[in-house]
Amino acid sequence: MPAQNQAQRYVITVVVADRVGILRDVSAAVSDLSGVIDGISQTVVQAYFTVTLTAAFPAGVAPEEIRAALAGAFGPDEAFIAVRRHAAAGGPPPVAGARYVITVTGPNRPTVLKAVTTYLARRGVNIEDWNVMFDEPYVTHVGEITVPLSLDIKQVQDEFHHLMSQLGMTTCIQHENIFRATNEVGPITSLLKG
Amino acid sequence: MLRTSDILATVRMLQEEHLDVRTVTLGVNVAECARNDMADTCRAVEGKVAAKAGNLVRVCDEIAGRYGLPVVNKRLALSAASQLLEGRSARDALLLARAMDAAAAAVRVDLIGGFTALVHKGMTPGEQTLINSLPVVLSRTDRVCASINVADTRSGINVDAVRLVAQKILNTAEATADTNGFGAAKLVVFANIPEDNPFMAGAFLGPGAPECVINVGVSGPGVVKRAVDRLTKARPDASLDEIAEEIKHTAYRVTRTGELIGREVAARLGVAFGVVDLSLAPTPLVGDSVGEIYQAMGIHELGAPGTTAAVALLNDAVKKGGAFASSSVGGLSGAFIPVTEDHALAEAVAAGTLTIEKLEAMTAVCSIGIDMILVPGGTPATAVAGIILDEAAIGVMNGKTTGVRLIPVPGRDVGDRVDFGGLFGGGTVARINCPRGSAAFVNRGGHIPAPLRGLTN
Repeated sequence: MPAQNQAQRYVITVVVADRVGILRDVSAAVSDLSGVIDGISQTVVQAYFTVTLTAAFPAGVAPEEIRAALAGAFGPDEAFIAVRRHAAAGGPPPVAGARYVITVTGPNRPTVLKAVTTYLARRGVNIEDWNVMFDEPYVTHVGEITVPLSLDIKQVQDEFHHLMSQLGMTTCIQHENIFRATNEVGPITSLLKG
Repeated sequence: MLRTSDILATVRMLQEEHLDVRTVTLGVNVAECARNDMADTCRAVEGKVAAKAGNLVRVCDEIAGRYGLPVVNKRLALSAASQLLEGRSARDALLLARAMDAAAAAVRVDLIGGFTALVHKGMTPGEQTLINSLPVVLSRTDRVCASINVADTRSGINVDAVRLVAQKILNTAEATADTNGFGAAKLVVFANIPEDNPFMAGAFLGPGAPECVINVGVSGPGVVKRAVDRLTKARPDASLDEIAEEIKHTAYRVTRTGELIGREVAARLGVAFGVVDLSLAPTPLVGDSVGEIYQAMGIHELGAPGTTAAVALLNDAVKKGGAFASSSVGGLSGAFIPVTEDHALAEAVAAGTLTIEKLEAMTAVCSIGIDMILVPGGTPATAVAGIILDEAAIGVMNGKTTGVRLIPVPGRDVGDRVDFGGLFGGGTVARINCPRGSAAFVNRGGHIPAPLRGLTN
């Protein structure tokens, strides 16, 4: 949440060819405008550094000013930068439901991701995280999704399995607790309460 | 936050390595079902099981689907049936067993334990009735499993009970000769019987347990074997302590899945959660064998010198991983070596590398005992009793559970092949050395006193 009176939150995305010091440059630009970062996700995809962050700035700091400050950290046309007002602060999540992990593995075909995401969107399933690993000629998709409580998970699993098997893919959709149970150290009871 | 590599490792365990929950077992205390008339008692038992376990299978199936983790068996473990048989006849014992059978069938459970008597210090008339009824009960019911505790570390060994039970094992096998003595596969003789063991045939609800409780048995020999394979492929010269460490980490993961499922089932049924039994329980499938784990470690001929050490390493590593994974570990919790149910062990017995004597040595460091071993139908009762006494001695002196599940196959002799099918597998009739050499010792009867280590107060 905003840390300053009359503050305005922004969502900022920067995409740039990876090198050392990018996050330092971004955070310095934000900090120099008295911005306070309150959310951040960063990764590197195929040698491209990508960061999306939310930050609160004092009243009067315009989005163009933020963009210019960030652009100053990079060479001409080196980085893609987007700045927009954060409009959904405190709102409900897009889908109320249970968190599942989905995996899709098989031959690497360009139509697979479209088929997967089309099915999930049609069923009202929200994708919160998605990773793809290529090991030619195979591909593995791993996602974290929220399945609405109104859906019968067995039906979703069966439909999805049937759909993907037609593309030669193997799938699994399983509740995230099984993955947390096998990979985290905290007590099981905390998973069930959470 | 979950890492992709961790997610894929879990998926691999589930989809390729036979990770499953081997059994979710609901314990139900039926002591309150005692009535003046045995028929009323039976109706009360069936009613209580229906009330407490009516949703067991459905809930297990729903949760298994949610997690993508098969729950292979759903079972029932009643409080000791001998409590309901005081002052009753052998006919009443059969009525009670049939009521248990019907109750299990009604809730779609394949096995029900608790036809049990605890006779380590002596036998009451009701307990004697139960033991005497075993051949009839186990030949005329489908789902009922029996267990008799003949020894414990604080009481010693009740040799008179051992002799009686040995004879009943032979009688049970004869009564089920049409199925190669399979009735004996539903009877376990214990020393230091656990009160919370979810695995059959020895599951029963102990006197210290809650009225109803969920105990879970995890499995995962395939997962452990593949973990050892991966380690030794990556590092062919991996030392035994590195193998132990790998097994420990794998056991941790396996145990956590069991507790997750068990706690959720218990919560949905509104009953207490008891324990996770982290035993490695094999099935006859290739890739789901405890024997294959020893082979992966380097014991290429099971029974060769070093096999007992391999069992000890595995058993200890499983316990350590499981103990860190959950504070609710109980039951048998270790490596099982049921010969007919494990193709690698069965093949070693057939090849003659694994003998009853070597199996007995292995039971000193594994979690159970002489289990699912075929012996000649003509084995004298004193030899069966002698094997039980040996196992009981190992259990009593080492303060651990040991058990005997021998199947004397009527009309069959050493080397004959027998198949039961399904999870019970099959194997070769094994040789008992000097089967008549200890009759005089066994026939003395009486009681072998408790060891000094039982005097712990």
